[in-house]
Amino acid sequence: MNVSGPLFNLLVFLGVLVLAYVLFRPTKGWFWLVANSVKTNHKVITEDVLKQLYTLENQGEHILKKEVVNSLHYNDGTLERVIATMEENGLVEELGQGEIRLTALGRDYALKIVRVHRLWEKYLAEKTGFDKTEWHARAEKMEHQLSHEETNVLATELGNPIYDPHGDPIPSHSGEYADIDGAHLNDLPVDTVGKIVHIEDEPEVYYRQILAENIHIGSVIRVVENTDRRVLFYAEGEEFILAPEVARNLTIEVLETQEELEELAVRLSALGTGEKAEILGISKECRGDSRRRLLDLGFVKGTPIQIDLVSPLQNPKAYLVKGTTIALRDDQAAKILIKKM
Amino acid sequence: MKDSVEDIIELSNDLRWKMGGDFHDHITESIYADASEIVEATVTTDSRKGRNAVDVTIDRIVTSRKWGFPIMFLVLGVVLWLTIIGANYPSGLLAELLLDSIHPALKSGAASLHFPWWLSGFLIDGVYLALAWVIAVMLPPMAIFFPLFTLLEDFGYLPRVAFNLDNLFKKAGAHGKQALTMSMGFGCNAAGVVATRIIDSPRERLIAIITNNFSLCNGRWPTQILIATIFVGAVVPKALSGTAAVLSVIGIAVLGMAFMFTSSWLLSKTVLKGQVSTFNLELPPYRPPRFWKTLYTSLIDRTLIVLWRAIVFAAPAGAVIWLISNIMIGDHSIAYWMINSLDGFGWLIGLNGVILVAYIVAIPANEIVIPTVLMLTVLVTGMSGGEGAGVMFELDSANATGEILKAGGWTLLTAVNLMLFSLLHNPCSTTIYTIYRETKSAKWTAVATLMPLIMGFVVTFLVAQVWRLF
Repeated sequence: MNVSGPLFNLLVFLGVLVLAYVLFRPTKGWFWLVANSVKTNHKVITEDVLKQLYTLENQGEHILKKEVVNSLHYNDGTLERVIATMEENGLVEELGQGEIRLTALGRDYALKIVRVHRLWEKYLAEKTGFDKTEWHARAEKMEHQLSHEETNVLATELGNPIYDPHGDPIPSHSGEYADIDGAHLNDLPVDTVGKIVHIEDEPEVYYRQILAENIHIGSVIRVVENTDRRVLFYAEGEEFILAPEVARNLTIEVLETQEELEELAVRLSALGTGEKAEILGISKECRGDSRRRLLDLGFVKGTPIQIDLVSPLQNPKAYLVKGTTIALRDDQAAKILIKKM
Repeated sequence: MKDSVEDIIELSNDLRWKMGGDFHDHITESIYADASEIVEATVTTDSRKGRNAVDVTIDRIVTSRKWGFPIMFLVLGVVLWLTIIGANYPSGLLAELLLDSIHPALKSGAASLHFPWWLSGFLIDGVYLALAWVIAVMLPPMAIFFPLFTLLEDFGYLPRVAFNLDNLFKKAGAHGKQALTMSMGFGCNAAGVVATRIIDSPRERLIAIITNNFSLCNGRWPTQILIATIFVGAVVPKALSGTAAVLSVIGIAVLGMAFMFTSSWLLSKTVLKGQVSTFNLELPPYRPPRFWKTLYTSLIDRTLIVLWRAIVFAAPAGAVIWLISNIMIGDHSIAYWMINSLDGFGWLIGLNGVILVAYIVAIPANEIVIPTVLMLTVLVTGMSGGEGAGVMFELDSANATGEILKAGGWTLLTAVNLMLFSLLHNPCSTTIYTIYRETKSAKWTAVATLMPLIMGFVVTFLVAQVWRLF
């Protein structure tokens, strides 16, 4: 029955493993590449161009067709053909000297895609467990797939949110959207007190760094140092240091009246054994089911809280809230704000 | 009328837009504010505030860095030891009654009523025997394990175990309470799957359900112990053989935990990453366990329900086992042809056709794997002994069992791989059905069924090839 030697068998097994890896490894596997390239059609390219133009125009820039072609990674020929079709359909218009801009119709269309993108990010944040770093890429795909009706159903289900989880305004179905007032963190003078209202998720390298630092949207901050080399600020009882180009991705709404209460806020994770505190609220970073569960358990403004037990592995810790002992992990405790007493 | 409805919807959308996202927070806050006002006005408490002093003392000890883990392992060890050792005696009694007394009595009864051989074979050797076997092996350990476990639960100790171990499970993307469902799985995987209801986070609950099968259930402990005694015990000096056998079984159980952690981590990073994940763990006050009530509910709710499901699945399995051994195609039984066609694949993964056929027909219950293997071995080798085609049996001494298996071509490699395969294969049909009931999803049921099976094939394959290299 000895049909094949063990060494041969092992080699065949190894071969199958390598093949499976090449075909199916995440995002770069051949199978996925082929599947994705089939899906990329003219509609997708059109919508990507619209969005790109919309973003650039909002930054007040004049746009050359060449730049758009270069900034989107498509085969040159395809992209030019698509832009030509868009011109025929009245979505973009040429201004001469290679400059192009959106028509009113084009802006409308672009706004709809932006709406789907941001709504989908909101959906991912509230109703699924996908990691923050995945939201953007997933929304990039979904923005081409949802119809107008589906988008409205989604919006209603989410309670017609005004902002997406990064703090970007979500256009309503009629195209209105709220403004964000604020300045980039690296432009603020020392001692400014403000609130983080927006965290930009592109480029991804910077975004990952912001996430790694545990910076939360909605936190009240105070700028301590702002030089060419670094920006140092306090928020929720902790100190954060960012490079200026990373700090640029944080938008701060400057608070005129110094809300003393908020400035005293520290994170629950900073509470020591034996200390007593009062809950100020739950950070905006705690979303969806997790947030509602915490609220239902009594983690609401004004509730006294203290550490009851510490696990032998230091994490989680059990807190005494309204006479009940409830264990929370440290990363959750970092999203609850307290005032030490 | 229609217009006014639309107006109202429009108005509500408008208001919602103006109210902003903190709506739910404000409502909850005001509910709590109202509640505490009512409490202050109506409830009088004695001056003692905070938690009961006894509770605090117990908690300080069972969650301390020094004593937390030793106490936990001691408790789990004692429960498992009581279950495995304590179940031997009632199991023996039941086996004597159901297999050695009632079975022959039924046979002679059927003979005196002039049943045709195939009817008495089908009903008594097939259906009855499988049922009797499952009851004899399954009932006693469950009747001991579940009440003990429920008592600990009722006392309030189990949430502390979850609290102590949570950080380990967190690293694997799982919930601390999975420690409890996993321990429950040592008793019975189906019960372990039901127990995952205590995990209220969807992602972690699915992880706990899918990986519960890596806890060696009490249907598999006897197989492990028997095979380890016969084959692993034989390769070391006689004085050490008992210890070696026990250590190898513990090794398999620990390997199961390693697989549980690894696959939990993989699942949480891949197919399950989109599921909602939350965490909170309430540590309720201790209370004296209500002994009789606990005993009653654990026997009725856990033991009997699981036993009933096992019976429902085991009866047809017995019938199938008897039929494939007795229906002839050409010169040989169906079982013979199945074994022959699976022998090649079996050899590749260091097992043999008999074992694979036994695992196919014994999907309903791990308890009848060894009796089926013995019956099929005797059937295909044509040796004397056994009870006849389609009649499962077990022998009183491990030595005699070993003789039959060795005659069937078993080596130490076969034994090691059987132990591995017994750990890593699809859950029994009771558990599969329970997984479907709990998840209501064919997809997750398929994942839970096939993932361990594929792992089992890969692991036994690798072990066999590497073994043969040297």
